[in-house]
Amino acid sequence: MSSHREAPEIAKDPVADNTDVYAFVSPDRPDTVTLIANYIPLEYPAGGPNFYEFGDDVLYEIHVSNTGDAVPDVTYQFRFRTEIRNPDSFLYNTGPITAIDDATWNRPQFYSVTRVDRSGRSTRLGQDLKVPPVNIGPRSTPHYAATFTAAAVHNLGNNSQVFAGQRAEGFFVDLGSIFDLGTLRPFQHLHLIPSADAVGVNGTQGFNVHTIAVQVPKADLTHDGSSPTDPMNPAAVMGVWASASRQRVRILGTGSVADDEQGPFTQVSRLGNPLFNEVIVPMGDKDRWNRLQPADDQQFAKYVLNPELARLLPVLYPGVFPHLAAYDKPRNDLEAILLTGIPAGVVPDFQNNTGPHPADMLRLNVAISPTPAAHTNPLGLIGGDAAGFPNGRRVFDDVVTVELRAIAGATIALVDPSFTPDGAATAITDGTSNTNAPYLERFPYLGTPAGGYQTRPPVPAT
Amino acid sequence: MDRTSRRGFLGVAGAGAAALGVAALDPEVLTGTFRTSPRPAPLPADSTGAFVAYVQDATTGEVVIMTGEREVVVRDRDLAARIARAGASRTAV
Repeated sequence: MSSHREAPEIAKDPVADNTDVYAFVSPDRPDTVTLIANYIPLEYPAGGPNFYEFGDDVLYEIHVSNTGDAVPDVTYQFRFRTEIRNPDSFLYNTGPITAIDDATWNRPQFYSVTRVDRSGRSTRLGQDLKVPPVNIGPRSTPHYAATFTAAAVHNLGNNSQVFAGQRAEGFFVDLGSIFDLGTLRPFQHLHLIPSADAVGVNGTQGFNVHTIAVQVPKADLTHDGSSPTDPMNPAAVMGVWASASRQRVRILGTGSVADDEQGPFTQVSRLGNPLFNEVIVPMGDKDRWNRLQPADDQQFAKYVLNPELARLLPVLYPGVFPHLAAYDKPRNDLEAILLTGIPAGVVPDFQNNTGPHPADMLRLNVAISPTPAAHTNPLGLIGGDAAGFPNGRRVFDDVVTVELRAIAGATIALVDPSFTPDGAATAITDGTSNTNAPYLERFPYLGTPAGGYQTRPPVPAT
Repeated sequence: MDRTSRRGFLGVAGAGAAALGVAALDPEVLTGTFRTSPRPAPLPADSTGAFVAYVQDATTGEVVIMTGEREVVVRDRDLAARIARAGASRTAV
């Protein structure tokens, strides 16, 4: 998945597990940038009675580096606090929750937002902000979208707003297929272990995540405080990633003594580009990668320059990728896409390069205007839509197909004109389609979370 | 075990085994009254509440003290040794 359960240790700590990061110029407010960090993978909507919530003991952060060194210049920090209104009830809600501050919600959450600049100066932007309940069903959370979505969008002043709470999963991928030895439906007949072709299945359909979204003026994020309009202006580019941190020590309580945490926060999860830790970093380095910063990523460049998946594709699909199989040069195309940004001169009138320092960040050129809805292409830049991935990432971008095609060799020719991509490289997909809940046209853009009562569980098959 | 054979045992055992051996012979541990010094040093102001002292390797003398969201690293071989000895003693008890 994008980064759901992507490393052994963080897979055991879902509350702190980054699943997706999005960064894009807001289509309905193009003077602003929207930054979204999702956590808690694969929330089954009916998963009560203790439904999903943010961790009070987790420091959630969204980082922006605007000076090319992959060190945060602007960080938004989010801390949560949970109350129990009726400790004598086992219920999540003691009646219908008809408003975000309804007393019938037994475990309301609140949060603070703090902006930290590179010098360490902190500015509290908001506190005691309300998180909406999860979508339980029509009796517990009636009229969920109308009741809770707008009520959970909080104005931070300075043309900024924030949301934190459950949303529908926006990422789509054929999980069952891709993790079954790289099967790409509907091309199963070409696999090393062939089977009958079948259509793709969206493995994240019907699941939810917990979203933190903030929308701020472009000028709050650029290093010179400007709102660039020239895409070739280096000041227009920034790197974005998100993280989760826990205090270094947790002492489990005994008897009536509660658990205790001590020590500074230390990072346990991070995410910039989708699928980076998932399919680029090998098993032995995944947990360590999560503890490190993007500025430390030089040591992982070798995995980008010679990715395991690019070596596997010709093996799994004999005869389908002959040009890729024969290509033995470093994958400078992937280095540009994932670690440095695309320099000027590769794609006409476009660049999102942050300099030579290799770091896994989503790189967003904020001078690229949003593409009108009728003309967007989920394939982003490789589909001719420069407002999409890997120029940042919009909620609907088909990052699985983009990265599969890139790894399969479709982008090599951008940096090495002597290479001719295999026909399959420009046709490859994971075979699925976006069957998630509809996205919103406005902040926080991700769709209404699936309800526990309304959503049917997956159908078992063996 | 006579003195010669006890010295031989300590000489061939590893550091951990040696610590356990010493602890087992410590009369204060045998009575459950292990002390690190005759008179405790005065506590700094506002010393209530929990904190954690973490010794990754006592031989370096590095003690990481974590309180709240703060972390202080001190290099004090004597402190690290006393903590290690106390830990070994409790294990032996």
